[in-house]
Amino acid sequence: MAAAIRGDVDAFAELSRRYRDTYSRFAVRMVGNRDDAEDVLQSAFIRAYRALDRCRDPDRFGGWLYQIVANECRSFVIRRSRRDRRMVHDELLLRDAPAPADGSDTLEDVQYALDQLDVDQREAFLMKHIEQLSYEEMSEITGDGISALKMRVKRACARLRQLLEEVHDV
Amino acid sequence: MSERHRDPDDVFAERLARLLGRPERFGDEFEQSLAAAIRADRPIRVRLVPRARPLTPSWWRMPTIVRLSPIAAAALAAALTGVAILGTLRVARPEAGDRPRAAITSGVVHDTVTFVRFVFVGQARTVSLVGDFNRWGADPTPLVAANGVWTASVPLQNGRHEYAFIVDGARWVPDPLAPTSSDEFDTKSSIVMVGT
Repeated sequence: MAAAIRGDVDAFAELSRRYRDTYSRFAVRMVGNRDDAEDVLQSAFIRAYRALDRCRDPDRFGGWLYQIVANECRSFVIRRSRRDRRMVHDELLLRDAPAPADGSDTLEDVQYALDQLDVDQREAFLMKHIEQLSYEEMSEITGDGISALKMRVKRACARLRQLLEEVHDV
Repeated sequence: MSERHRDPDDVFAERLARLLGRPERFGDEFEQSLAAAIRADRPIRVRLVPRARPLTPSWWRMPTIVRLSPIAAAALAAALTGVAILGTLRVARPEAGDRPRAAITSGVVHDTVTFVRFVFVGQARTVSLVGDFNRWGADPTPLVAANGVWTASVPLQNGRHEYAFIVDGARWVPDPLAPTSSDEFDTKSSIVMVGT
């Protein structure tokens, strides 16, 4: 850690290896696919390297890095949604994928539903229910209040439930 | 706590977490690439479009262009397979309720009809074609797979056209072998020149 803060690139790469797997799932679920997630995660880690002197508490490096990863994911999703207003997502074709005969969810279904949430709700749901963070931790990372985060998670659950019911009705 | 007394949202979220909680791991080349990027001191810019890195295994071909007189075009239209006709009709369909064959005919009213065959090869569940000729997917053209090759033949007017493939309903894939143009969001589309 100390070597990384002094600017040792190899030390930072080694440090990032410790956190890579922790954040890669969050990034993949946030942006919806592995290729974009890998780019976003790498971009976040580069930003972190360049801002290491602003990491005030090295003992909380993980949380500080999480903030940067979350911001990078949010920024990417927002920029992409602007672009997507001009572009079609071929939802009907996507839904042509065969559904399990027993009506259970598939990862594709759930990721599709997740992608429909606004970025605040998606982030809050993933942090709470997939990454198992406490509301206090989420508040520290996002800078948002706990009651607002609870509301986002609740709304995310309601919306996801509605979307998945629609998928199963198709 | 019994299932009955638990918050329904928690029960629901647990159901989703069985899928969304699966690990996602990038390879060790991640750190190598990261270190190289830091050393190169490149500006940070995450591309908004899928990279040209091919799907596995995959390669693309440039669109195949066939120019036809109106009569020949009509004959070709009649000879196209049902699948190819479907692909064309999705693009050319002018109004809901039109019969498919009439839509084909509407493609040969110009002095020269150019059928452009778009080909995509790669692993995919669905592939569709979007471009200026179908209002960027307001009515996307599905490509039809045969032996791993996805194709669609589309009648185009002369001039410059931009297009891209949509893979699995979400991936925007420009043709890496064709010239490209970028919009203000750095979204790359491929260019095909017809009749010039």
